[in-house]
Amino acid sequence: MSKVRKCSCGCGTMPASSRNYRVGNRAMTLADLPVGTAGTIIKVLPGWRGRKKFADVGLVEGAELLMEAHAPFGGLLRVKVLETSVAMHRDDAAHVMMKRGETTE
Amino acid sequence: MKREFTIALAGNPNCGKTCIFNALTGARQHVGNYPGVTVESKSGRFVLNGMEIRLIDLPGVYSLSSNSPEEEVVFRELTRPGIDLILNVIDSTIPQRSLYLTTQLAELHIPMLLAFNMSDDAAKKGLKFDIPKLERYFGSPIVRTVGCRAGGVQALLEKLAGMLTEPDRHGVPMLSYGADIDEAVSAVAAKIDTLDIVGYNHVPSRFFAIKLLEHDRSAWHIDAFRPILGEVEAQIKHLLDRHAIETDTFMADRRYAMLAGACRDAITTTRERRREISDRIDVVMTNKYIGLPLFFLIIYLTFWFTFTLADPLMGYIEDGFAWLSDLVKGSWPEATLPYLRSLLTDGVIGGVGGVLVFLPNILFLFFAIAILEDSGYMARAAFVMDGVMRRFGLQGRSFVPLVLGFGCTVPAIMATRCIESERDRKTTIMILPLMSCGARLPIYALIIPAFFIAQYQALVMWLIYLIGVVVALIAARILKSTLFKGDGEIYLMELPPYRMPTLRSLLLHMWDRGRMYVQKAGTIILATSMILYICNTWPEKTVFDKDYDAGIARLENDKRLTPLQIGALERSGLVSGEVLAEVKATGTLPDELLDELRKEELPSVLCSAVEVAQERNEAIAELENERQSELMEYTISGRVGHMLEPFFRPIGFDWKLTTATIGALAAKEVFVSQLGILYAAGEADEESVPLRQQLIQNYTPLQAFCIMLFCLLSIPCLATLAIIRRELNSWTMPLYEAGGLFLLAYLTTMIVYQAGSLLRIGTKLIG
Repeated sequence: MSKVRKCSCGCGTMPASSRNYRVGNRAMTLADLPVGTAGTIIKVLPGWRGRKKFADVGLVEGAELLMEAHAPFGGLLRVKVLETSVAMHRDDAAHVMMKRGETTE
Repeated sequence: MKREFTIALAGNPNCGKTCIFNALTGARQHVGNYPGVTVESKSGRFVLNGMEIRLIDLPGVYSLSSNSPEEEVVFRELTRPGIDLILNVIDSTIPQRSLYLTTQLAELHIPMLLAFNMSDDAAKKGLKFDIPKLERYFGSPIVRTVGCRAGGVQALLEKLAGMLTEPDRHGVPMLSYGADIDEAVSAVAAKIDTLDIVGYNHVPSRFFAIKLLEHDRSAWHIDAFRPILGEVEAQIKHLLDRHAIETDTFMADRRYAMLAGACRDAITTTRERRREISDRIDVVMTNKYIGLPLFFLIIYLTFWFTFTLADPLMGYIEDGFAWLSDLVKGSWPEATLPYLRSLLTDGVIGGVGGVLVFLPNILFLFFAIAILEDSGYMARAAFVMDGVMRRFGLQGRSFVPLVLGFGCTVPAIMATRCIESERDRKTTIMILPLMSCGARLPIYALIIPAFFIAQYQALVMWLIYLIGVVVALIAARILKSTLFKGDGEIYLMELPPYRMPTLRSLLLHMWDRGRMYVQKAGTIILATSMILYICNTWPEKTVFDKDYDAGIARLENDKRLTPLQIGALERSGLVSGEVLAEVKATGTLPDELLDELRKEELPSVLCSAVEVAQERNEAIAELENERQSELMEYTISGRVGHMLEPFFRPIGFDWKLTTATIGALAAKEVFVSQLGILYAAGEADEESVPLRQQLIQNYTPLQAFCIMLFCLLSIPCLATLAIIRRELNSWTMPLYEAGGLFLLAYLTTMIVYQAGSLLRIGTKLIG
C-alpha cells in the first residue's frame, strides 16, 4: 500500500517501492506494531469472529500491551498483555487497532 | 450427613492444576474422553476425613465461553447438576489474568474454594496479597498452595474438609456490569425464570442471562432457551442502539476492569523476577534467526539422549526374554504337547519380548519430552515452528506430535491433544502414520546393511525417512484443502514462563506413557502375535513332496571319510587327540573343524575330503530350507500369501513378502521375525546374518528398496488404528486411513518398481 511519491529532496527520483512510509497518526494495527514497542488497543474491529476470544485473554479496548517478538518465516507474533505472553497470527492481529505507546529499551 | 462429594477442578492452562490434581489423587486416576469431542476427561478419587471425594479435572481454560471444544466441555460440566464444590486453581504470580475465570465461576453460585497456587513464586516475585480483602471480593475462601511440592496442599485439604462439613454459608457478591446492562440482564433472567427448565434449576438464571447476552455459543445452543432468544436479540440490539454497548466484548471488558480494581486494592507488588529471567531466556530461544537452529539442536539432543541411554537396556531386555524362553524350554520336555510348547516360547514370549524391547526407548523419549513440556519450551517450539508448518496447512503445535511419531505413532496421536483446532488435529492424526516409527526401524536395519554398501547406508536410511516426511506434508496440504476445509479456530497460545520441572511430575508422565505402551503390548500385540504364530505353523504338513530325511541321510553318508583320509588327518598334526577321537567315532568331520581346516594348507587327500564335506553340507542346508518353506507354504499364512501373490507381484513382492506384510499389521517389527520364519533362518532379528544372506540371494536391491517403501507408507499397525478410532471417536476414520494409506503405498511402490525395472536400476541380484 505504499504510495509512490517524488523524492522530497527535489531530485525527482522515485523512492524504492519497497519503502513503506507511514507519516502522522494513521491508523495502525497490532500487526504493524514493531518489536519492542508498547501500545494501547483503541478498538477491536466489530463483526470479526475472533473478538470474543481475544477479549477473554484481556485484549480489550484500552488494554496496554507490548510487542515482544516475531517468529521466523512470517509466523506468529508474540504479545505481552496482562503479564502473560500470548502468540497469535499476524492476520488476526490485523483486526486490532492500536495507538502506539512509548518504546522500551 | 452426606459422605460422597463431587469436586470440579477448574483453572487456566499452565496454572499448575495438574500438579494439584496429582497431589490430591495420587495414582487413583481415570482417563477417558468426553463424549462427542476429542477433549480428554480425567477424574480421580480420594478420601478426606472419611468422606469419599470424586475430583474432576476439567480442561484448562481462560474463560467460560465457547471459544474452543475445551471451553464448551467446561461449560457443560459446570452447568450439570451434582457438583458440590468448585476448586478454582489460580496462578498467583499473575492474579489479574487467572482471576478472570473466577469472576465467571462465581456467577454459578456453587460453593468455591480458590487455591492461590505457586504461592512461593509469587512471594519471590514480591507479590503481597490481602487475603481477607480478596475473599470478600470473590465471596470465596482462599488458600495458598504449592502444588508441585510435597505437603504443598496441606492447607487446601484442611480448608476443603471444613467447607464440605460446614453448611454452606458463603455469600457470593454480584459483579455489577453497570446499570444499563444490569437492566437487560434482569429482564432476560426474569424470562428464564418463567421457562422453569428442569435440568438447569440449580443454576442461577442470571448466569444464563449474562451468557445469552454475551452471545455465547454454548448457551445459545441449549434448546430450552429457544422461546426467549427473540427477547435476547431485542435486548442486545437495544443496548447497542441506545448505549453503544457491544455486549459480546463489553462483559469481558467489565470483568477485567473489576479485576484491575480488586488487584490494585488488595495486591501489592515490589518487583518482578521470574518473568524477567524467563523473558531474557526467550530473547535467545525465540530469536528470529537462531530460534529455529536452536530448536533443531534441542530436538536432536532429545533423540540422542533417548537412544544412547536406552540402547544398553534394550540389550538386557532381549537377553532376559531369551533366558526366559530357554528356561521354559528346559523345564518343559520336548515330547509333551510340542505345539503348545513352541507356541508359548516362540509365539508368546518372543512376541511380547519383541514389543517390550522398545520400552526403554519409549520411557526415555517421554522423559525427555516431559522435560521440554514442563519447562515451557514446547510452547516456544510451537512458536518458532509455526511459520514453517503453516505452509503445509498445519500449525506449530503439530510439530511436536510429528516428531514423536518417529518414536511411536500411538503416543504421538495422543499428544495431538495439545492442538486446539479440531481440523488441524484431525489432519495431524491422519498423516502421523507416515512418520516412520521406531518399529519400522528393524526393517530398515535388516535390509539396508544387506543391500547397500557402507557409504550409502546412512543416505538410504535418511532418504526413507525423508520420503515419509515429504509424503506426509503433501498429504496434509491435500487433506486441509479437501476433507478438512474451512475456517480454522482463532489461534491464541500462551507462552508460560520457564519453570524448573519437578522430578515427580516427570516420572509420573513417563510412568503414564510407559503403562499405556505396555498395555498395548499386553493386549493387542500378544493376541495378534499368537494368532500369527498359529497362522504361521498350522496346519502342519506331514507328507512331503520329496523324501527329505532320506536325501539328508544320503548326503550325510557321502561325507564319511575313508580310512586313508583319517590317517592323513592324523599325520597332519592339525587336530588335537580329543577331536581326532571324535572324528574316528563318527567317521565325519565336524562343522567347526571344517572351517578351521579350510584355512590350512592340506595334503590333496584331505583337501578333497573337506571340499566334499562342504558341498554336502550346503546341499543339506538347502534341503532343510526347502522342507521349511514347504511346511510354511502349507500353513494359513502361506496359503493367504500365495493367494495374494498375483496382486502384489506388480510391486515386486513374492508370496513370502506378502505374508510378512500381513504379519506386519500386528506390529511393524513383526515383518522381520516373520521373514525369518519364512526363510527358516531361525530366530531372526535385524542383526540376523543368515536372514540377510537369504535376502540378498533372493531379492534385487530394487525389490529391497520397494519393501522398505511399502512398509513405510502402508497401513499402520492395528494399535495405531485402534488409537485413531479412540481419539477421533469414529469407526469410519480409521477405515479411511487404512484404505487410503494402502492405496498410497501400493501405487507409489508400483511406480517405483515398474520404473526401476524399466530403467534397470538395481535389478541384478547381488548375492
